[in-house]
Amino acid sequence: MNSVSIDKNEKTVSMQPKYSPVKEFWKNFRKQKVAFIASVFVLLLILVAILAPYIAPFDPYKPNYDALLEPPSKSHLAGTDEYGRDILSRLIMGTRISLSVSFASVFLGMILGTILGLMSGYFGGWLDRIIMRSSDVLFSFPDLLLAIAIVAILGPGLNNVIIAVTVFGIPSFARLVRGATLEAKENTYVEAAKSMGAPHRRIMYKHIFPETVSSLIIFVTMRIGTAILAASSLSFLGLGASPETPEWGVMLSTGRDYLGTASHVVIVPGIAIFLTVLAFNLIGDGLRDVLDPKTKND
Amino acid sequence: MLQRKGWKILLLVVFCAIFMVACSDDKKETNSSEGKGEKEPTTEKKEELVVAVNENFISMDPHNTGDTNSNSVQSAMLEGLLGFDDEGQIINVLAEDYSVSEDALVYTFKLHQGIKFHDGEDFNAEAVKVNFERIMKDKSLRLNSRGFSLIKKIETPSEYEIKITLKETYSPMLTRFGVAKIISPKSVKENPADIPKKPVGTGAYKFGEWVQGDHLTIERFDDYWGKGDRVKKITFKPVPESGSRVAMLKTGEAGVIYPVPSQNIAQVEGDKNIQVFKVPSTIAHYVSINTYKKPFNDPKVRQAFNYAVDKDAFIKVVNFGLGVPLDSIISSKTIYYKKQEAYAQNIEKAKQLLKEAGYPDGFETEIWGNTNSDTMKGMQFIQQQLKQIGVKVEIKSMEEGTLSDEIYGAQTPDDAKLQMWYVSWSSYASDVTNATKPLFHSESFPPNGANTAYYNNKEVDKWMDEANSISDKAKQEELYGKIQETVYKDAPWIFLGVDEIVYGVRSDVEGVVVEPTGGLDVKDANFK
Repeated sequence: MNSVSIDKNEKTVSMQPKYSPVKEFWKNFRKQKVAFIASVFVLLLILVAILAPYIAPFDPYKPNYDALLEPPSKSHLAGTDEYGRDILSRLIMGTRISLSVSFASVFLGMILGTILGLMSGYFGGWLDRIIMRSSDVLFSFPDLLLAIAIVAILGPGLNNVIIAVTVFGIPSFARLVRGATLEAKENTYVEAAKSMGAPHRRIMYKHIFPETVSSLIIFVTMRIGTAILAASSLSFLGLGASPETPEWGVMLSTGRDYLGTASHVVIVPGIAIFLTVLAFNLIGDGLRDVLDPKTKND
Repeated sequence: MLQRKGWKILLLVVFCAIFMVACSDDKKETNSSEGKGEKEPTTEKKEELVVAVNENFISMDPHNTGDTNSNSVQSAMLEGLLGFDDEGQIINVLAEDYSVSEDALVYTFKLHQGIKFHDGEDFNAEAVKVNFERIMKDKSLRLNSRGFSLIKKIETPSEYEIKITLKETYSPMLTRFGVAKIISPKSVKENPADIPKKPVGTGAYKFGEWVQGDHLTIERFDDYWGKGDRVKKITFKPVPESGSRVAMLKTGEAGVIYPVPSQNIAQVEGDKNIQVFKVPSTIAHYVSINTYKKPFNDPKVRQAFNYAVDKDAFIKVVNFGLGVPLDSIISSKTIYYKKQEAYAQNIEKAKQLLKEAGYPDGFETEIWGNTNSDTMKGMQFIQQQLKQIGVKVEIKSMEEGTLSDEIYGAQTPDDAKLQMWYVSWSSYASDVTNATKPLFHSESFPPNGANTAYYNNKEVDKWMDEANSISDKAKQEELYGKIQETVYKDAPWIFLGVDEIVYGVRSDVEGVVVEPTGGLDVKDANFK
């Protein structure tokens, strides 16, 4: 996989004394202009999420009954909501919630899905069948419906939203990793390791897992977008964050009554969700172009 | 290269096409609405009034109706012995006069003479008797359990006189005689199955047609015994979507809409073709506090809550500025209402009271409510207000059925998990019993009644029982005055506000009134 890219960029590589996959990746990724801008946006978002309490101009929970539903102005850049709370501050605090919920659920899903996928692909047989058939069962539900069912059982709340989004992410990860494992399993170095008597665990993690990493990275970025959307949808339906929380979906849900009279209450969080999901998907696309061996060979 | 150019041109064409279509559509729309606007004033005196309401009609059986809209339609066609004026107070309608015995057990009515039903039958004491007997006998009728099951005997001393004796006192009975509309004895005897579909009464309008879900038409009854000139035909249309209802009023498609959603008031208020009316209702909003549970068993905590909440802000934030603060345990439109000194917001005093009760740093609690967006808004408001005195409130919104099960499922006060409930209550303005007894009497603890505050004050119980067993109005007023004073001080609720009802009428329409209970009275509707 690496040899191809080296060929393509012969000149630059020859000038550099040592080959580094990270530098290589960085160079190729920078060429993906859209994805690059999207990742700058996401980095900014992460920064905002970390610094949220320090950069929010107002207390996102503090009402001001003398400034209800004010349109954007100098003092309130994104206007105020139905309790006179500053929407920009709520948006900033919401970044933290939306990102942490989606990151947590996607990474949890990834870890569990990867373990299941590795075992399923590596051992095959009845274990494979059990894992894959249960994944099929989960796949047969529309994503959001499954999440709603899970939250309905567990009760509303952000933690349960994380669990729900995790659960519907697991089968996708499992299937992805299983596919990559099946391919990697046939490599001669795996056979060599086996013949040298390496334990299964070692083979799985040292030899097969690294082969799945590039497809995992792409999938995770794409998945985060979906997770943000799912978490917001659940909150919008009243199944997620409690109504006073500045979560984007909640803001959208409580603001929809004012769509006709004070549309900024809905538009601002709507745009935030839209841009964030778009950014993660664009990064995913860009990463695929850079990392996926199949697209590179074309 | 050429291929690429071709694509671009195609794209351009598509965009142009979309743009043109969009523009031409716009033009068409404005043209048509302008046309309508011009035409309207030139039409002759209109003969049909369209009334758009928010919900479908359920039943036309006057003895079995629970929803406001069905009631509104019925009240144009049917009349009771008594009725209600615009303020909700009791007036004579089919009865010329009435008297109540001192022990509040015997009601005697003297009836108007010469009144005919829409089907030509005579209205007399016998007709009334047939109606009341129908309600007494049929347990499935809503009014049966509302007083009529207590009737011991009905006598008709003369053709236009009727005497009703109760087994036990029931002070809202007069209100019930206003609610129980009289229908033709012929229809009761011969066609009982048709009553919910096409009622026959004595009212100013007779039934026309009813196409379920689409419209219900009533037509002027030219032999009506009452006075006044009125429009020939009225069509009621259920239009649940608020925006469409407002649009109908603006274009003149509807002459009256009820209610005007609060967020749309601004849209119609400036329009010179439209009048917007706001009337105080009997719908009271409050938070019921479980006084049986710690820490709410201490009145100081409950008073602190009342001092922490800004009622004017409540009206402004939650009710779009429509309404008045609730300054008693009943709305100001309810009979025997006595204004109390309202708990004005005073955070310092609230904190002090909490400290005296032993909670200087506040505590954590939860508030329940349904999933309606207005309720959610109200609960968040309470949460924000109580945060100021260090009380952390968790909001639990539940679907109406679940909520009701959770609250009324508790068989004893010990079972109750409820801490606070954001809710509202409304009753007939003339029915103070229903506005107090189910809410504050110790016999009304769930599941028997709506005393979800588990308010238990033996003295108040005694006053309520006494007021219910007498007919002396001055004494009743005195008792209800004491009840209001005591309960308001004990603060089993966070007293919030009383709703205002908003309805819109085209400027060329007159004679349409909405009563405090929310009933629409179109009996005297006409075009100017």
